[in-house]
Amino acid sequence: MSEERWLRRSERWLRLLLRLYPEDFREEMAEGLLEAYRDRCRAAFRRGGVLSLGGIWLRSLVDSLRNGVGERVRPGITWRRVGNWGRDPELVVRRLRRAPMFVAAMVGTLTVGLGAFAVVYTVVDKVLIEPLPYDEPENLYFVWRDYGPIFDLNRGWLGGTDVVALEDAGVIQEVAGVERDDGVTLTGGTTDGEPQEVAVMTTSPNLFELLGVQPELGRGFTPSEVGPGRPAVAVLTYGLWSQRFGADPSIVGQEIRLDGEPYKVIGVMARDFSFVQHASLELPQSADLYTTFDLNLAETNPGAGSYAGLLRARPGSSPEAVEAAVATVGRMVDERDFESRGLRLYPVAMEADLVSRVRPAIVMLGLAGLLLVVVLMVNLATLLLVRAAQREREFAISRALGADRLALVRATLLEGGVLGALGGVGGALVAVWGTRALVALAPLDLPRRDSIAVDWGVAGTVIGVGALLGLLAGAVPAAWATRTRLATLLAATAVRGGGGHGRMRRAMVVVQVALSLVLLSAGGLVLRSFEQMLRANPGFDPSRVLTLRVPVPQARYPDTAAVRSLHERIHAGLSTLPGVRSVGAAGALPLSADASQTTVGFPGAPGNTGETEHDRPLVDRVRTRPGYFEALGIPVLAGRAFEETPTEGVREALIDRTLAAEFFPTGSPIGATLMFFDDSLRVIGVVEHARLYNVYRDDRPQVYLRTADFLRPTLSWALRTNGSPLSLAAEAQATIWEIDPELAVADIRSMDQVVSDSVRQQRVSAVLISGFSLGALLLAAMGLFGVVSGSVTRRSHEVAVRLALGAAHGRVLRLVVREGMVLVFLGLLIGAPGVLLAARIIGGVLVGISPFDPPTLGAVAIGLALVALAACYIPARRVAGIEPARLLRQD
Amino acid sequence: MDNERPIKRFLPLRPVEFHILLSLAAGERHGYGIIQDAEARGQAMAPDVGTLYRALRRMQEQGLIAAAERRQAPDAGDERRNYYRITPRGRRVAQAEARRLEALTRAAQLGGLLEEGAI
Repeated sequence: MSEERWLRRSERWLRLLLRLYPEDFREEMAEGLLEAYRDRCRAAFRRGGVLSLGGIWLRSLVDSLRNGVGERVRPGITWRRVGNWGRDPELVVRRLRRAPMFVAAMVGTLTVGLGAFAVVYTVVDKVLIEPLPYDEPENLYFVWRDYGPIFDLNRGWLGGTDVVALEDAGVIQEVAGVERDDGVTLTGGTTDGEPQEVAVMTTSPNLFELLGVQPELGRGFTPSEVGPGRPAVAVLTYGLWSQRFGADPSIVGQEIRLDGEPYKVIGVMARDFSFVQHASLELPQSADLYTTFDLNLAETNPGAGSYAGLLRARPGSSPEAVEAAVATVGRMVDERDFESRGLRLYPVAMEADLVSRVRPAIVMLGLAGLLLVVVLMVNLATLLLVRAAQREREFAISRALGADRLALVRATLLEGGVLGALGGVGGALVAVWGTRALVALAPLDLPRRDSIAVDWGVAGTVIGVGALLGLLAGAVPAAWATRTRLATLLAATAVRGGGGHGRMRRAMVVVQVALSLVLLSAGGLVLRSFEQMLRANPGFDPSRVLTLRVPVPQARYPDTAAVRSLHERIHAGLSTLPGVRSVGAAGALPLSADASQTTVGFPGAPGNTGETEHDRPLVDRVRTRPGYFEALGIPVLAGRAFEETPTEGVREALIDRTLAAEFFPTGSPIGATLMFFDDSLRVIGVVEHARLYNVYRDDRPQVYLRTADFLRPTLSWALRTNGSPLSLAAEAQATIWEIDPELAVADIRSMDQVVSDSVRQQRVSAVLISGFSLGALLLAAMGLFGVVSGSVTRRSHEVAVRLALGAAHGRVLRLVVREGMVLVFLGLLIGAPGVLLAARIIGGVLVGISPFDPPTLGAVAIGLALVALAACYIPARRVAGIEPARLLRQD
Repeated sequence: MDNERPIKRFLPLRPVEFHILLSLAAGERHGYGIIQDAEARGQAMAPDVGTLYRALRRMQEQGLIAAAERRQAPDAGDERRNYYRITPRGRRVAQAEARRLEALTRAAQLGGLLEEGAI
């Protein structure tokens, strides 16, 4: 065989081996590599013939295996293979700096969108979804009394005897009774602590076992620590422990005083422990410390409901089984204690019970937030389409100049990812701050308020989702760049000059307008409802009134004479403060939801019907001191208020407008008799219904009694002042401590604050939803602006021709504006059914207006149309700037 | 690219890299020429062709060598070859490596590992 032939064979063998090298290496170096090998083979063949050549073949195989694989694993020039990542970011930054509006719009959109979503998600998750911090919380239930025909109360406390009876019921594992008292004065335990009012939860000793929690420090209650003569022991909450005792662990074992009685601290609960006693009529409330009953629940009066009943069902019990077991006990109780008059017991799952009050508002806000996020996503898609269209030309040229397809994709993806991550970071910050602001605004009694915060998981997810959205967003133009054939791309760009996708963009604007309409309508309704609420007449005059509460410990003031004298001294002391016009006191201030309930009757009143249920109404009973109505500005509608010196031998009462209208529709109630248990009182006047629960809704009728006749040691005091009420706060406190330094002064607020605090939830809703809807409006307006200005640019030739042919500017302007407004009206049309749907959903949280309130909905539609008109008109005015002569000459 | 990289960041050079710079310091060479030079220097194992070309590519990228004009090799009839030449930067790197080796050798002598003048 000739040398030539062997060399050709060698060449084929070497070309085969070359495949072991990566492609980019081959492209550059194959020629040289082959030359060198060819030289080598020729030299070897000449030196030692075929045998020598075989050696080279073998050696080249080993060489190619080693270096081919080596080059693949550790490329000599890294960036050519995986892309020049070191250089790409620089290019991306440079490119983005050329489009600041795009960057701002994209990052802003993501920030707002992700932020809003994260806030809403956090609140919904923490309040509605995340399980309560107890062991198997799904097995926990509160039990309530439904008095049925006995009287008008279908969510009443249990009697102590009910709690005992429930212990024997079928599927129930444990039962506890809980009673809360918030007028307790805490002293001792520290050397310099002022007397402090605390709320105490008095419970069965098994409460903590029932919830499945343990104190962090010390111990819980033992089963024997209950009943008459029980050791007085207390478990502190983390809050009280850190606030009053400086988180000093040595508090365990020390003595504190509650209303003067000594209690030994045996434990401190963990920081994340929280328990609220669900109330029959009021809001769920927490306490500062826990102690046990000093009575035997089995020996309490079955007729009186005073205990929140909490039970843990056996694991695996269905809610139906629990309900049946509780109902069985209820029938037994009804027969035993209520002569089978129809009392019923029923359980409500703890979590459902806790959040039932806020669920409608949170669901509404959640939906509004989601809607906003959808609007934002539409906005994002629009932005990207515009960007893709703008870059169409750039892609076409880059690729025509030989740019690597992959390089273009890489750059576009990187651009999207960077923007997305930036937006994600912004969103996370918005989420953290937004949640904090929301919690600050939120009502103090919002369930699980303390746990509402953005955690690292949520923040990380937000940033990740931002980057992912950015990548996805980048993928749209990237796909555009690679899929389209070069020729088509260039041709299309040449013809249209970029800016395609017109139809898609229009559709998106229509969607945005429709969604904005829905959000704005909901926002408008909630705002109007809030306004109605603030304008409602609460039945008293909250301006320039200072209120405070002075709990009176029984141990310190054991008899009625001592309490009366204390009240007189406080009254006199507060009256002498400068700027105080009048002083009054009551057991329950308006909006405190703190009154006790009782049934009353008006024997011989013209309004009686003869039915017990009507003639013995359940009323809120408020004990007051003279001067109360004057101090709070509650109008006396007929008769007179209580006077300083009571009429001898007569117990007096005032009734509110609703009772007077119901029982004395024609005549005057003055002088009528009011029956209250076995007492008969004389009605001396009628007052306005001063709302006790809600600024906007009347609740039960009210009866006012004298504290002189029905003593209540702990009173809330109201001072009507000439100037700013809060400036008197310190002096009022000093006055009380002058009288008795062991007294706590609690809840110092102006009545305006009380009113404002009572509408916090509605305020949060109003602020959030108006923010959401204004955001949506802004986005829709931006979308419209973009479409119309794009249209003006695209149609400038057409417009120039029209103008050149003599069309008036105004006419052309109208033409362009009309194009935008058609989209707006389409959006309004499509949004209308959504508005009706949204109105149905939010109907439950509206006060004082119908969810289909025509003025509100009409105003929203008109307002949206006007904003849209402006968004169309402003870019359209550029038409006027078109000079036909110059523009047409360019072609 | 690597133009900013300080000279001493290249050191120590791999044997194949030093061979390449050494050959090119004497004048332009094609690939097989560099291998022949290495063999002539008495190295038992001259670099493999694959190893050589990977190094050529890498060093080209690092700016130590550059492709020269493609032309006929005097010893290979009318076949044309890819020639390489050393860059000023490559020369500085080669000098630095030579100095480094010299210092090492001197140390070896002082340590009694080499006889005086054995180089």
